[in-house]
Amino acid sequence: MASVIPVIFILVVVLGLMACGFLFVPKGPNQTTIRTAIMLTFASCYLMWMVTYMAQLHPLISSS
Amino acid sequence: MGDDYPTLFRSEQMSLMQFLIPTEVAHDTVAELGELGNVQFKDLNPAVNPFQRSFVGEIRRTEEMTRRVRFFESQIQKEKDVVPIRPLYDSAPLLTVGPSAAHNIDELDVTLAEHEKRLVQMNDSYKTLSERTRELVEARHVLRETAVFFEKAETQHTDIRTSFDDSSAPLLQHDDREQQYSSTVQFDLEFIAGTIDRTRISTFERVLWRVLRGNLYMNHTDITEPFVDPATGTETRKNVFIIFAHGDALLAKIRKVAESMGATLYPIDANADKRSDSLREVTARLEDLETVLYNTGLNRRSKLLKIGENLARWQDVVRKEKAIYETMNLFNFDVRRKTLVAEGWVPTRDLTMIQLALRHATEASGTSVVPILHELRTSKTPPTFTRTNKFTEGFQTIMDAYGIATYQEVNPGLFAIVTFPFLFAVMFGDIGHGLIIFFAALYMIYQEKKWARQELDEILGQFFYGRYIILLMGTFSVYTGLMYNDIFSKSLHIWHSGWDFLEPGSNGVSYAVSNGHMYPFGVDPAWHGADNGLVFTNSYKMKMSIVLGVIHMTFALCLQLPNHIKFKRPLDIYANFIPQMIFLQSIFGYLVVCILYKWSIDWSTRDTEPPSLLNMLIAMLLSPGKVDANAQLYPGQSFIQVVLLLLAVVCVPWMLCMKPYFQWKEIQMIQGQGYVGLSHHNGGHRESTDEVLEGEEEGNGRVIVEEMEEEHEQHDFSEVVIHQIIHTIEFCLGCISHTASYLRLWALSLAHAQLSEVLWSMTIEKFLGMSGIFGTIILAIVVVFWFSATVFILCIMEGLSAFLHALRLHWVEANSKHYQGEGYLFTPLSFAKLDEKE
Repeated sequence: MASVIPVIFILVVVLGLMACGFLFVPKGPNQTTIRTAIMLTFASCYLMWMVTYMAQLHPLISSS
Repeated sequence: MGDDYPTLFRSEQMSLMQFLIPTEVAHDTVAELGELGNVQFKDLNPAVNPFQRSFVGEIRRTEEMTRRVRFFESQIQKEKDVVPIRPLYDSAPLLTVGPSAAHNIDELDVTLAEHEKRLVQMNDSYKTLSERTRELVEARHVLRETAVFFEKAETQHTDIRTSFDDSSAPLLQHDDREQQYSSTVQFDLEFIAGTIDRTRISTFERVLWRVLRGNLYMNHTDITEPFVDPATGTETRKNVFIIFAHGDALLAKIRKVAESMGATLYPIDANADKRSDSLREVTARLEDLETVLYNTGLNRRSKLLKIGENLARWQDVVRKEKAIYETMNLFNFDVRRKTLVAEGWVPTRDLTMIQLALRHATEASGTSVVPILHELRTSKTPPTFTRTNKFTEGFQTIMDAYGIATYQEVNPGLFAIVTFPFLFAVMFGDIGHGLIIFFAALYMIYQEKKWARQELDEILGQFFYGRYIILLMGTFSVYTGLMYNDIFSKSLHIWHSGWDFLEPGSNGVSYAVSNGHMYPFGVDPAWHGADNGLVFTNSYKMKMSIVLGVIHMTFALCLQLPNHIKFKRPLDIYANFIPQMIFLQSIFGYLVVCILYKWSIDWSTRDTEPPSLLNMLIAMLLSPGKVDANAQLYPGQSFIQVVLLLLAVVCVPWMLCMKPYFQWKEIQMIQGQGYVGLSHHNGGHRESTDEVLEGEEEGNGRVIVEEMEEEHEQHDFSEVVIHQIIHTIEFCLGCISHTASYLRLWALSLAHAQLSEVLWSMTIEKFLGMSGIFGTIILAIVVVFWFSATVFILCIMEGLSAFLHALRLHWVEANSKHYQGEGYLFTPLSFAKLDEKE
């Protein structure tokens, strides 16, 4: 059954991935850049997926 | 993020350094620093006329050398067969530092002068010889044509001779005439022959006719080949003419008219034998001249080839020398004229490198006096320097194009690395197109080293410069294409669809029934090709644009915080940041929450109709507190909406008044303590971090004091109030307009999808059904057409359009929330960058 639970579950997963990205990037001249890029990528990709998923959860019209 | 490594988050910390350089080492030191490329020198002689500066003489000499090198370059370019110029990375370097440097430069000067002289000589002689050749060719034509005239005349002459056979003429006379005629196969008339421009021949004839009152006989023919002027390459067409007249006066008149009309006259003999002799002579001289011309040409070419070998080297040396002397002109001589004083901005991180460079320069030049380095304390704003590598350079450049970041404020270029390609991809989403631009970028990156050396033309150069941006754009486009479920306007059917289609009803329309599945990743393929597919997609994309937009703006707003904290402006946090955040969230954040909430409810189980969110928002603003019970989203909605609206309304006077009030109080406090006008945080003290244990020169004191005059912003209260009013209005109105502006994410992705679908249905779809060999060939042609249209229209044109709009979103909507952008760029003396500037 389509529900909101996968959204929250994936949110937790993505937050975890972002934390990993923050913690495990090696020190070096590009540390900030890589960290920012990884975290932003996860965040924006999750956002887009979440919006797409939720838009189809309880559709108001059906395809014809 | 610590002092260990430079980050892109803020621009680097800069220090103002003072260099004390002994004059002997000056040239080599500047050369060394130029190679390093880390120092931006300040002009210490701003009031001095460029012609009065110390090193004018050297600059003039280098200018001469530059001119000569440019002359060589233009000569080489004019050659029809390409003269190869040995590229710089292949040539042996010319030493410009060290004890032999001065000697090398002098030698170079002499060599260049000599080459130039010889080249100019050769060019001149070539020109003269070409002129001579042209004249001879004309003469040859004249000779040939007049030969034709005379032959014709001879045949006519025999007719005339017979007519003179009159019985009335006395015999003796007849004989005399006979003799005369037999000796010369010619009329008694004299003639003038020459050439004239074809355009002038009719005027010439008319003028002559009028001047001589018809007492002439003129004949002219075309010279078929045009004459090419070697200098300009223009072609001129000429005609040969021959004019018969009698009498010296008439002949003189003809000569004068001919000269005035620009005709060239040639002496032609009446005698046929003499004419053929002249012809032979002319031909022989022509041949000689052509040989000489050919040899000169060969000689010149060999000279140019030799120059081509060294040209890149010379250009490099000359450019560097000029830059070095121009920089040295910025320096100041100290009192005793033995040291040069220079000041420059240096990234603090690179100080050790600079010291090493200075030491290296002194070693190379052989002296033992090391230049001294001082750090100066100043409150002048340093330049903004962001250390980029080849990957981040492109992103930083596109954000810098809006404005250079103020010294050490948060750099939006860091976040643009991901947000820019992401917003581009939202507008471009198509797996196929994304793959195309991804591979194009990959190819450019693969060819990086080779292409970086070449000089690419403007358009290709731009694409090459942004190759990493395009790479990321392609990657994200593949992801959003997966989300939109769009590959070349078809959709992928990877997982189970959430809809089952029923049998078509009486009107031919088949409806789908939800089967409880959720298509886990992206838009369900059942929507593809549906009649009301656009209704769903539009609603989905519009809401997504608003959600993404509000989140992007919130993020940009939060970037204000690190700035306020770093520059110690706690007032700004309370007076600007917090009310702005509350305003934005209470209206548009609430809208986003409603969107998400409305999506998460199963409306089939509720008895109320799903309300239109747009109407709800408008109603919230126009008639607060009144929410129709049938159309409410959640219980208690009216109360919450009133609270939020009140919050937003409170924020406006908060933003307007708080900051001016506190600043006014500060001014009162300052005036109360008796300080007048200018700064009390003037720095008379100077921290000198001597790098080498040498004493300070007296000259420094003078220099430093001049330095301390800062431009101080007058704390005029009315200005503060006006500034704050503008800021508040801009923010509040901007909130609404920028949120709506994010709808372009929807608009462009819709346009892209529709274009892609139209292209497919108009081309390949029409020809898919054909069979047989003929059908296959037609299909192949159509596929080629479809692919090229995809690349040019959909990838390049739409890509550029989406690029532009994503950039606009970053510049206007995001940057206006936090960016000050009042810095100036760090432009160090760098020999590597000199090359790029050319």
